[in-house]
Parts: sequence; structure tokens; C-alpha cells
Amino acid sequence: MERAATDVLLAEIDALRAQLVEANETLEAIRTGQVDALVVQGHHGHELYTLKTADHAYRVFIEQMTEGAVTLNSSGLIIYSNFRFANLVGLPLSNVLGREFINYLTPECRKDFGKLFEQGWKKSIKGEVKITVGSTHVPVLLSVNRLELEDEIALSIIVTDLSAQKENERLLQIKNEQLETLNQALIDSNHDLQQFASVASHDLQEPLRKIQVFSKFLKDRSFHELSDQSKQYVDKIISCSLRMKILIIDILNYSKLSADDEHIELVELKHLVEEIIDDFDLKINEKNAIVELGSLPIVEGNKGQLRQVFYNLISNALKFSLPDKPTHVSITVKDLDAGELGLSLSDADQYCRISIKDNGIGFDEQYASSIFNLFEKLNPKSTFEGSGIGLAIAKKIIDKHHGLIIAKSAVGRGAEFNIVLPFKYRRQ
Amino acid sequence: MNVKKIILVEDDPDDCELFVTFFSPRPDVQLLPAVGNGLELIKFLDGIKTDAALPHLIVLDQNMPMMNGRQTLQFLRDHQRYARIPAVIYSTYTDTSLIADCKKLGARIVATKPIDDEGYQKMMDDFLAVI
Repeated sequence: MERAATDVLLAEIDALRAQLVEANETLEAIRTGQVDALVVQGHHGHELYTLKTADHAYRVFIEQMTEGAVTLNSSGLIIYSNFRFANLVGLPLSNVLGREFINYLTPECRKDFGKLFEQGWKKSIKGEVKITVGSTHVPVLLSVNRLELEDEIALSIIVTDLSAQKENERLLQIKNEQLETLNQALIDSNHDLQQFASVASHDLQEPLRKIQVFSKFLKDRSFHELSDQSKQYVDKIISCSLRMKILIIDILNYSKLSADDEHIELVELKHLVEEIIDDFDLKINEKNAIVELGSLPIVEGNKGQLRQVFYNLISNALKFSLPDKPTHVSITVKDLDAGELGLSLSDADQYCRISIKDNGIGFDEQYASSIFNLFEKLNPKSTFEGSGIGLAIAKKIIDKHHGLIIAKSAVGRGAEFNIVLPFKYRRQ
Repeated sequence: MNVKKIILVEDDPDDCELFVTFFSPRPDVQLLPAVGNGLELIKFLDGIKTDAALPHLIVLDQNMPMMNGRQTLQFLRDHQRYARIPAVIYSTYTDTSLIADCKKLGARIVATKPIDDEGYQKMMDDFLAVI
């Protein structure tokens, strides 16, 4: 008898379990929007409950969203929670429902939540709190809204996990600090450069000028007293100190390019180059050189700096000439679309290409990019005087103008320097 | 001949000596004893009783201790008795900002220090032309 009763009870438990599973599955189906209507055995036979389509959409939405969503009643009990919220606090959904929401918050932010809870009934409000998950705290944003249900008023709270955002903020903070440090280092190094420029401009030039003055004295006033050997030494001192002077001035000009010089104007390149050719009048006559100048465009840029570029390039073209050939230099505009420079610009009409071409000694094209490095020289001092800074300055200026400078040459067959410049100057 | 009294304000003894070497032979120039900086110049000028005895030209080095060329220009400009005396700057290195600053402060000429006799004589000719 007892055994039979036990069996009956066990069977009942099994049946109830099955019902529970079925009910849970139904609930799950309703939650995830798989069900639009329910048929329930009621007092008047089968009753059909349909779920409103608008509700359906929101239900799916709420269950699928990555934020926690809970609804509280007037005493702060959770009357609805989506899976995400239960997930967030690390508990099964059934343990969350019917509990006081405030219990999931860390003690120190419960007072803040009290205010949110109080004001949330009157107006939409947001606030950051921390929820307890096991032994850790998760920062969350609560978006609190009054919710008018059919039979009662509830408070809906969207719970946004801020961990990732806080972590990003922390990383951003670190990056910002690093950036700040780098920026300071850059400011310091620019300052050092300026210091160097000022040292180079005065402190180095003062003793150098004295060397020049006194070696000239030696030559002018005591030359006859010197042996032939000593006369040579004096001449070497004079020429070396002159070279050092040129070097210092060039380094100074190069370092000054780093300083902010944003004086931008419309520059008539043809006019600019005409002036430079006038400056080289003596040298052009001396070499019997022919300088051909085509019509050049007007571009936006720093006039002084662009003048320096053309000055250096024309100076080179005249300097590196072949002894047995009349020097010919041409400064002309060329077609940018030709593709021979290995460029493909989508907005080619925004740029111009100016070619400075000579028929001088040229250079091996494998050096076509290294010649723009500071102090890079391909020719021995004895044949061609120079500091090795001229092309570096030209490149730095063209870079500052967001343009390109490309060299093409072959040994003994002249050199061509192509400048690709935007018509309009692009400010930083 | 109209001889001009010129005072050099220069702290470098070599440069002082060069001034004497190149200019003492000139009949149109009378070099007053050089002073080492702006403060010494003011003391010197304040000690001159009559305006007629003031120098015709003040030649200022830029880099000097205590009171440099620029500061001295400013002082001269701000004092009525001295504002009329032509002043020039000469320096080892002259860049555009030094030239602009000194011209604004009333320098008639901003010159780069020469390295030979020819350069010195040419510079003095330019100086005398602004008196």
C-alpha cells in the first residue's frame, strides 16, 4: 500500500516535471518571439491568447539586445528581467525575478540608486552605478524610465555594461598620457634644435670669422715673409674657413625650416625663377650657359622657401656641368599624366609638374633618392664644392608643401629634377 | 674735412682692435675710446657736458653682456638727448628677425661684420652716409 502510494506520488512528480519543462519551453518560446499565440485550457474550454505584433517585436528586441533590461514595481522588486541582465549578475533568471533590484548593487552606490529610483517615476534619468558580480564589481549605466503598463505603473531600467567602455577610457587615458609625453619630447627636441641653431648662428660663427679675418691679415700683411709651403697653408686655412662658413649657414637654413613658417601666398613661379636666373648672371656668362625658361604656373606656397628650392636646383644644374660641353639648363612645365615618374594621382589636375633639366655630369640612378639625404655627396670635394645640404633643403621644403621631388639621371647624360606641387597649399 | 666722431660699443677686444686697425688711418673718422656694453655707453654719454661734444655715430655690437645692442637702441630711442644720434648695429650673424627688430628700434643700418679691409671700409662708407 505504502509502496503503491509512493509509486503514485513519483508518477505525479514526473508528470509535474514534464509540465514544468513544457511551461519553461513555452516561456522560452514566448521570450524569444517564436510564439505568436497560445491556446490554454480555461474554464470555458480552449482559450486563444494572441500576442500583439508590436509587443512581439519589442519582446524579441529586448531579449536579443546586449543590454540588461529589468522592470521594477513600486517597491523596487524585479517583475521582469531579460536574460542578459541575469547573465550580467551571474544568476539564473528565476533567481532574479521577485528580488529587490538594489540588492545587486554595491553598498556604496545604493544611495545614488535611491535617488534614481525616486526621480525615475517622474522623468527619464540616467546614472552610473556598480553591480556586484561574485566578488567583482561591474560599472553600468542605468537608463531609468517610467513605464505605463495596462494595470500598473512600473519602472523600466536598461542596464548598460560599461566595463569595455571604462577599459577603453582607461586605455585612452594611458594613450593620451603617452601622447602628451611624446609631444613634450618633441617640443623639447624642437627647442634643442632652435638652441642649436642659435649656437650655430652666433657662437660658432664668431671664432670662425676671427679665423677668416686673421688668416687674411696673414696673407695681406706678412705674405712675403712666408715660405712657399706656408703660403699654401694660409690659402688652405682661408678656403677651409670659407667652406665652414657656408656649411654653418646651410645647416642653419635647414634647421630653420623646422620652425613654424606658415606664411603662405600666391607665388608666380616664372617671376621667381627669372629673379634667380638674374642672380646667377655672372656664373651663366662665365660658363656660357643657355638657360631656357618656359611658362610656369602660379602656386600657393611659402615664397622664400620655394625660391630656395629653385635656387638650389638651378645652382646644381649650373655647377655639375661637363667641361667640354656648353651648359644647357631648362626649367619647364611637363605633363603630369605621362606616368614616366611612376606616379598615379587620382587628382592629377590639382598638381603641376616642373622639370629642371641639365646636360651635365648626371649621376647613377641608384642614388636617385639618397641624394636628398643630409650631407650626401656623390662627387669629391676637389671637383665640386658643396655642403651636401642643398638637395636636403629642397626636399624638406617640397615635403612641407605636400609635394614630391623626383630625380632622374644617368652618368654623363645630365640630370632632371621633377617637382610635383599642389596648386593649393594644404595647411596642417 | 668734416671729421665724424664715432664711438664703438663692443665687448670683444679683437673686434675693438680691428676697428682701430682699419679706421684709424681714415682722415674722415675720429674714433672715440670704445666701451664694452650699453651701460658703459650710457655712463660715457651722461658724462659729456655739451651736446656738441656728443658722438656723431654710435656703432653697436649686438651680443654684449649686461646690455646688448637691441636694449641699447631702445634706451637711446627713449631718451631725447640721445635719440637724435644715429645708431647702427653690426653683428657676426644677421638674420631677418634681428634686422627687423633693430630697424624697428631705430637702427639706421644693420650690418654683418666684415672679414677684410675692403669689407670694413665699405661698411664705414655706408655708416657715414646715414649721418
